[in-house]
Amino acid sequence: MEVLNDLKLVRWSAVALLLVTGIIDLYYGNSFAGFYENLWYVMGGIYIFAALVIAANIEPHFSQLTVFAYTLFLWSVWATVAVGTGTGLDVVAYADKAIEAVLAVNMVLLFRSSRRV
Amino acid sequence: MIGSGFGKLSSAKLLTAAALIAISSGAVVGLSVGYVVHYSAPTTRTFYLFDGTLPFSERTFYNIPHDTFVPDTITVDKGDHVVIHYINIEDAAESHTFTMDLPYTFDAILYGNATQQGVVGTYPNVGNIVLSQGQNATITFTANWAGTFHYYCAIHQPTMTGYLVVIG
Repeated sequence: MEVLNDLKLVRWSAVALLLVTGIIDLYYGNSFAGFYENLWYVMGGIYIFAALVIAANIEPHFSQLTVFAYTLFLWSVWATVAVGTGTGLDVVAYADKAIEAVLAVNMVLLFRSSRRV
Repeated sequence: MIGSGFGKLSSAKLLTAAALIAISSGAVVGLSVGYVVHYSAPTTRTFYLFDGTLPFSERTFYNIPHDTFVPDTITVDKGDHVVIHYINIEDAAESHTFTMDLPYTFDAILYGNATQQGVVGTYPNVGNIVLSQGQNATITFTANWAGTFHYYCAIHQPTMTGYLVVIG
């Protein structure tokens, strides 16, 4: 029972983090001038869609692993683009990436917990 | 999928594999973007703007001369912080405005002329500022919207019009 409660907690915290990250990405695309802002809309949209998938617990193992990989993928893209071009180095992006890092850890916990159940 | 080979692997192995694939593919995409897209990060661009006169003496209604902006085009990249030092260099008592239509507004600091020393006024988030003869103003804004927008003197139309070109 306790494991199930923990699983729920981790799952809903993942959903919250995904929503927050998605909203930040949409905001960033809307407010940040200069660099492929439409991509931020797409990234934000995917995060919000992922939040719905995780909340609905659809194919949990596959979706959790995919979201984990997606988070790391975006983190890696951001870091290399930032180093290469000097873009995306601002407070909003830092906040977004910090939350993404927490989200990645959260997805690891969720994935491990859900496979144990 | 979970019930097949995917399900037999341990969580740690799956997470490690996913992380390695995601990070390496993300790095490849990011480096490619950095290589292909020659992007210049937003910067501060400074311009000096003056009033000018067309080389004929004909005047419009109300005896207003055909004045111009020099330069009449300001080109920046989207996201740039724009600083315009606008100086009214009229040799007679003649005012000019610097006016922009929405979506653009600007912050302005107005400095005095020979008879009014120092800062005459500060105007945050306005679309219009008036400069008397000899006055100058520092106008600042961020080029958040791409496209072509005009800046103009509301007194000396239609000739005193310039274009802000924001490339984005």
